[in-house]
Amino acid sequence: MKNILYTAIYSFNEIKNSKIFYSFLVFALVLIFGSYFVSQTSFISQGRIMVDFSIFAITIFNIFIGIFIGSSIVYDDIEKKSIFLSITRPVKRTEYLIGRFMGLTAAIIFSTIIMMFIFYLVLLIMHKYVIPFPIRSVGRAPLHTKTFLTLYLLPQSLLIQALFIIIESVFIAVVALFFSLITSKALASIFTILVFFIGNVSSRMNTLVMPAKKIINGKEIIVHRANYVLTAAVHLIYSVLPNFSIFNISSEVSYKISISSEAILYGIIYGLSYTILLFVISSLLFARRDIS
Amino acid sequence: MIKLKNVTKYFRVGFFGIKKDAVKNLSLNIDKGKITGFFGPNGAGKSTTIKMIVGLIHPSSGSVEINGYDSQDYRARLNLGYLPENPSFPRGIKGIDIVKYYSKLLNKKIDKNSINEVLKLAGIFYARNIHVHKYSKGMTQRLALAVSILGDPEILIFDEPLSGLDPIGRKEFKDIIFKLKEKKKTIFFSSHVLADSKELCDKIAVLVGGRLIKDESISVLEEDAYNYLQTKTNDTDVTENGAEMSDYNTPLEVYLYDLMLKNKRN
Repeated sequence: MKNILYTAIYSFNEIKNSKIFYSFLVFALVLIFGSYFVSQTSFISQGRIMVDFSIFAITIFNIFIGIFIGSSIVYDDIEKKSIFLSITRPVKRTEYLIGRFMGLTAAIIFSTIIMMFIFYLVLLIMHKYVIPFPIRSVGRAPLHTKTFLTLYLLPQSLLIQALFIIIESVFIAVVALFFSLITSKALASIFTILVFFIGNVSSRMNTLVMPAKKIINGKEIIVHRANYVLTAAVHLIYSVLPNFSIFNISSEVSYKISISSEAILYGIIYGLSYTILLFVISSLLFARRDIS
Repeated sequence: MIKLKNVTKYFRVGFFGIKKDAVKNLSLNIDKGKITGFFGPNGAGKSTTIKMIVGLIHPSSGSVEINGYDSQDYRARLNLGYLPENPSFPRGIKGIDIVKYYSKLLNKKIDKNSINEVLKLAGIFYARNIHVHKYSKGMTQRLALAVSILGDPEILIFDEPLSGLDPIGRKEFKDIIFKLKEKKKTIFFSSHVLADSKELCDKIAVLVGGRLIKDESISVLEEDAYNYLQTKTNDTDVTENGAEMSDYNTPLEVYLYDLMLKNKRN
C-alpha cells in the first residue's frame, strides 16, 4: 500500500512538472477567461454561453490530459527505460501500475479543481450563475438578525458536471493506458480518441436506427426500419463500447436544472465499473509483459 | 544465491512472429560474496539474461531463482540493487527527489545520512539539487548507481556499468566495486570490455550467441589462458593474428577474445 502511495506522489509530481500538462492547463484557463468575451457576442443568455463554453473547455482539456498522458505514462517509462529502476525494487508490478494511474488521477483532479476555481472566479466577477448564500448572526428577535457574510455558491448541476468531468477523464485515461500496453503511443492515442468519439455518438446513433413507429387507428405500426446489418452493428457498438454521453449534462447545467441522485449514482457507478474493469485487464497484460 | 537453470528465452520477430533465441539452455550459479563478470560480444544475450534475473523479462523455459525465490516474485528483489545499461529518469525531478523516492520503495528505513552517503559514494552529491534532465550521460549513470546501492543490498547487478563513463569515471566506478567487494557483496556485472576481467572479477562467465561457453574462476581461466598462449606461439598462424593480439595486454584477454571469436564464427 505504501509503495502505491509513494509511486502515486512521484507520478503526480512528474506529471505536474511536464510541459504537456502545463500547456493543456494554460490553454484551458485562456479559454475560460475567453468565455467572457465570447458571451459578449450575445445580447441575451450571456451566462449560458459562458457556462457552455467554459464547460466545453474544461472537459476537452481534461480529456486531452487523460488521452495524451494516459497513453504515455507507462509507455514512455518503458521506452525511456526509466521503469527499469522502479520495478526492479521490491515492488509488485500491479502496485507500480496502480501508483502510476493514481498519480494521473490526482493530476486530473488537480487540473479540474484549478479550472473550476478560475471558472468560479469568472462567474463571480460577472455575477452570473452564482447563488448568494447569506450567513446571518441569529439574535433573539428577527430585528437582531444581521448578515455579516455572503457566500456565493455554484449550482448543484455545475458541481456534478465537474465530478463527471473527472470520472470521464479518468475513464478515458484508463482506455489510453490499456491501448498503450498493446500498441504504440501514437496508435493508443488515436484509438482512444476513436473510442471517445464513438462513445459520445453511439447513444444518438442507437436512437436513430430504432424503428420509426406511428399509431394509426389505435395500433402501433412501424413505418420505417433501418437496414438490419446497420442496426445490428450500431446496437453492438452501443452495447460494447462505453457510452460517454451520460457524463455530458451541459444542458442541465445551462438551465440550472438539478441532477437527480439516481442519475449521479448511475454516472459514478458506470464510470467506475468500466474504469476498474479496464484497469484489471491492463494490469494482467502488464504483469505478463516482457520489459526490455 | 542466484541460480539459473536451463534458461531459454526466445523473442518473436517479424510479421510472422518467427522465434529467435536470445538465450539457449543457460545454467549458471552466481556465488555469494564474489564478483562474477559476464562477458560476451554485442548481441550475445547478456542484457537479456540480466533482465531475466531482475524480473523484467520472463524466461521462455527454465527457472531463475534469487535467494530461493523465483525472479518474478517481488521478494526476490528485497536485497537486490540493479544498475541498467543507459539508465534514464523522468524529466522535471531533482536528483535528490529521485533517490528519496527509490529509497521509499525498499521496505527498509533509510535516513537522510544514508541517502547523502550513497550520493557521495557515487560522486553525484554535488548535483543532487539539479533537475535530472539537465544531467550528462555520466551524471545519470552515477545517479543510477546511487539508486542501485541504496539500502546496502546484498546482491548487485550491473549491466554494462562502465559504458558512458569517462576514464576518471571508470576508475572511480572500479574503486566503488572494490569497496563493495571488501564488504563481501555479491556482484554480477556484464561487459564486453575484456580489460575489466582480471582486475575486477573472481569468476568469469562467457556468453556467445546465447550459449554459455565458459564459467570458471579467474585462476582456472588464467591457467587455461597460459596454456592456450603457449600453444598459440608455437602455431604458425600467430603472425596472422599478431595485430589482434597486440590489442590486448594480458594472456587472459587474448584467450577470452579468441574464445569469443571462435564461438561467434561457429
